[in-house]
Amino acid sequence: MLRPTYVILFTIWRSSRCAPAFRRLHVSALEVAERLGPEDTVTANFGAFIHGVRPEQLTQKVLRRSQRMVLDSIGVGILGSTTHVFELVLQHCRQMYQMTNDISSVYGRPGTKLSPMLAAFVNGVASHSMDFDDTWHPATHPSGAVLPALLAISDMLPRNSKPSGMDLLMAFNVGIEIQGRLLRFSNEAQNIPKRFHPPTVVGPMGSAAACARLLSLDRIQCSHALAIAASQAGAPMANAATQSKPLHIGNASRQGLEAALLASRGLEASPLVLDSVPGVSGFSAFYEDYVPQLLPCPEEVDPSFLLEEQDMGFKRFPAHLGMHWVADAAASVHKQLVGSHNGNFNPAFIQDILLRIPPSKYINRPFPESEHEARHSFQFNACTALLDGEVTVQSFHPAGLRRPELHTLLSRVRVEHPNDNPANFDRMYAEVLVTLVDGDVLKGRCNTFYGHWRNPLTDNSLQRKFRANAGAVLPSDKVEGLIEIVDSLEQLGDCSPLLAQLQ
Amino acid sequence: MLRKSVTQSFGAAISSWTTDHLTDTVVRRSKRMMLDTLGVGLLGTSTPVFQTALQYSRKYEAKEKSSVWGRPGLTLPAQYSAFVNGIAVHAMDFDDTWHPATHPSGAVLPALLALAETLPDKPSGLQLLLAFNIGIEVQGRLMRFSNEAQHIPKRFHPPSVVGVMGSTAATSKLLGLSAAQCVEALGIAASYAGAPMANAATQTKPLHIGNATRRGLEASLLALYGLEGNKHILDIDSGFRVFYKDYTPTEITNGMRGGPFRWVLEDQDVAFKRFPAHLGMHWVAEAAAAVREKLLGEDPNFDFGQVRKVTLRVPQSKYIDCPFPKTEHEARHSFQFNGCSALLDGHVSTDSFTDAQIERKTLKDLLLTTQIENPEDNPSNFDKMYCEVQVQTADGRIQTARCDTFYGHWRNPLKQVDLVRKFKANATTVLSLEVAEDIVSIIDDLENIPDCTVLGSCLQTIDQSARGASVCGA
Repeated sequence: MLRPTYVILFTIWRSSRCAPAFRRLHVSALEVAERLGPEDTVTANFGAFIHGVRPEQLTQKVLRRSQRMVLDSIGVGILGSTTHVFELVLQHCRQMYQMTNDISSVYGRPGTKLSPMLAAFVNGVASHSMDFDDTWHPATHPSGAVLPALLAISDMLPRNSKPSGMDLLMAFNVGIEIQGRLLRFSNEAQNIPKRFHPPTVVGPMGSAAACARLLSLDRIQCSHALAIAASQAGAPMANAATQSKPLHIGNASRQGLEAALLASRGLEASPLVLDSVPGVSGFSAFYEDYVPQLLPCPEEVDPSFLLEEQDMGFKRFPAHLGMHWVADAAASVHKQLVGSHNGNFNPAFIQDILLRIPPSKYINRPFPESEHEARHSFQFNACTALLDGEVTVQSFHPAGLRRPELHTLLSRVRVEHPNDNPANFDRMYAEVLVTLVDGDVLKGRCNTFYGHWRNPLTDNSLQRKFRANAGAVLPSDKVEGLIEIVDSLEQLGDCSPLLAQLQ
Repeated sequence: MLRKSVTQSFGAAISSWTTDHLTDTVVRRSKRMMLDTLGVGLLGTSTPVFQTALQYSRKYEAKEKSSVWGRPGLTLPAQYSAFVNGIAVHAMDFDDTWHPATHPSGAVLPALLALAETLPDKPSGLQLLLAFNIGIEVQGRLMRFSNEAQHIPKRFHPPSVVGVMGSTAATSKLLGLSAAQCVEALGIAASYAGAPMANAATQTKPLHIGNATRRGLEASLLALYGLEGNKHILDIDSGFRVFYKDYTPTEITNGMRGGPFRWVLEDQDVAFKRFPAHLGMHWVAEAAAAVREKLLGEDPNFDFGQVRKVTLRVPQSKYIDCPFPKTEHEARHSFQFNGCSALLDGHVSTDSFTDAQIERKTLKDLLLTTQIENPEDNPSNFDKMYCEVQVQTADGRIQTARCDTFYGHWRNPLKQVDLVRKFKANATTVLSLEVAEDIVSIIDDLENIPDCTVLGSCLQTIDQSARGASVCGA
């Protein structure tokens, strides 16, 4: 039995799809009809973009890059469904919100369904639970905030009206693009964050934009969705490196979805939320400096998607992005150590370890005490890579966290912040200098780790990561099925096959 | 070990405060806050924003149910009833205001009542009072950590910053969380804090309170299930501090370890509004009403079409400076609108914000003559501001009046009889008079009520057929 709400949403969605030229009139539009004209506010301009951009305006490059993001995001999400924090929030949602007709799928849990918002929440938590998800520049984790909400909506829509693969890709790209644009409104966003965790600032906005697009809201509703989402944005950095950090992405996803749903019911918010109004902060509240800019109007000119110019970083192991530089640098030292000792490398040979890294308090942890802290510790990741030659998913398991030889090495680490090493994911580097007891000094340096946007993972590497992640939970036929489906997502007439493989 | 952290002291205080700590003043004041909150909440259930949020929330069901105020038989999962009831409380900007500025009760009471209904052992009225006061106290303490909080806000809407923290403190208490769990709850809640001012004066503003109250409850529940956040959330730079430009946290000594303890509410009362608009409007309405009296005193047949110029001398604050409001939300945040309404009608009331009243020509004409001045000696601060209204007529006469402290402000609190009158006027738009009077009695005797969820039942009882008997079983 269809719940009345979904019928309404379905009707909105279908009428927009079948008759794109037909202008649905409703109260808000009537009021706003007087104000039709060039979108001179940034807020209205963003609403118009979300509504008006067309799939044909997605270039091949953007399509391909976003498909890779979708694949990686699903994989890390499914792996994340094995974590403790995921289990905790799932229990919470099931306890508190047992719906009789839950319909949206939960990653990796066959038969478990939740309401769309809660599915978005838990799947978003899963995506970020191990800090394994994608990272962009300026810094945020864009996909985990967007994809879970879109999948939840897709599950919600009736069987014979599922979005096509292209609908999904378009909405996904809208969600990514909006985040990227917002991040470019300030200089503050360019550097490793200190105040607000970026996924909590731009994530809800991206999710709201993507959901508004998938639900085919009109341009005014799209603007309101953004404004409603802004009132949920912003969580402090302090909760990074704790068990709560994954909720930042989970909440971004569900709050954006909620904002879009409320906007679809007519809720209105500030029409100037993205604009810069002296004395009354909108989205500018989250930044010390803020200069918003208009997007090109998709009806007049083909927009250039940011993903075209700025590729995504994918992680090779589940830890904060900064760890990847130091791991690569330390791994090269490990290789030298092993090579020069004929494979008999003993950590006792090491007298001193110097890390030259950018200054950033929340990832500078000499003795991490939990897996969350370890994922945010230059020292831990460097020493792990020194010992093992690499950092992996298993490095953060209890055995990996507690081994005595690691602790010995940790106690020998010193840290320097060279002036030429900025706290910026586009320009930082990491250097590892190891002094041996016999006086030799071995050095490793990494400017661009493999997986960074300047040195992207090959499709093979990305798929290997996906297989390892998804394969930890799903049977291999589903794993391969997902790879195939995502690879040709833009041609999929109905995204149901994608949804079916996630559990 | 480092010095005792502020966060730790909050966790310890929340978990160890007992009903013995409550003073008569605090009990009396907080009961008035509860009564006012319920009344404005009931009135708020008639608003479109409440309807929207309710429609949306009805998608969700749960085995444990909490009452939606003013909707007999309608229950939602605790979080969603907290959400919609919180929205109702703030829907018309009619709820209480404190100094430093926030709307403290709406962020706390809805979550507490919703939670109480789901607990197997129902809390008593006294337990509710304690949890409520803890939620208020934590908000008051947090706002005293910065100078920025002292002034009319510009960046983040205060209920969205401190409200969720108050809600989590209050609900943690009702859930009986340990000190360590309270610390985690505060950490988790901080990640929900903070909404920009831009959505004030829009239909979304009430969600700031609705979200604060429900997310605080969620944070407590997650902490109960073992979720951890940053245990130093109130201490470190990247924690709660991010919402303020200046920030100096201090510990709570709750009187059990030597230091004397006073509730903030003991020393700083709240303001209750007499009409549903931003607090700043209350000064300008009183001053304008006084000018009207003077004009009519001189000439009982004075025609307000003869006004050439209206000058409002008010503190500087962009979001309440709205010369030509188009919606009820803007009108509730407009010095000009409230000043002119009071000039024309002698007062501002709930009815002043209907479309018909907003659109009337006499008002619009008067608005055209209205100008704002921001004198330097008029700070953007609810404790120190004033409003002066000056009217210049066509024949050259000038009348001026000034309001320093409106009736209802904490310096000039509403008398109990007026507070109860406000409550009844609000509540009877939805409930029968008998039930409204029952609620007044229950709150009045709250510390002796064995089961506080009787309030929830009352809030849903709109049936008028039972006369003469207590309809809530209290």
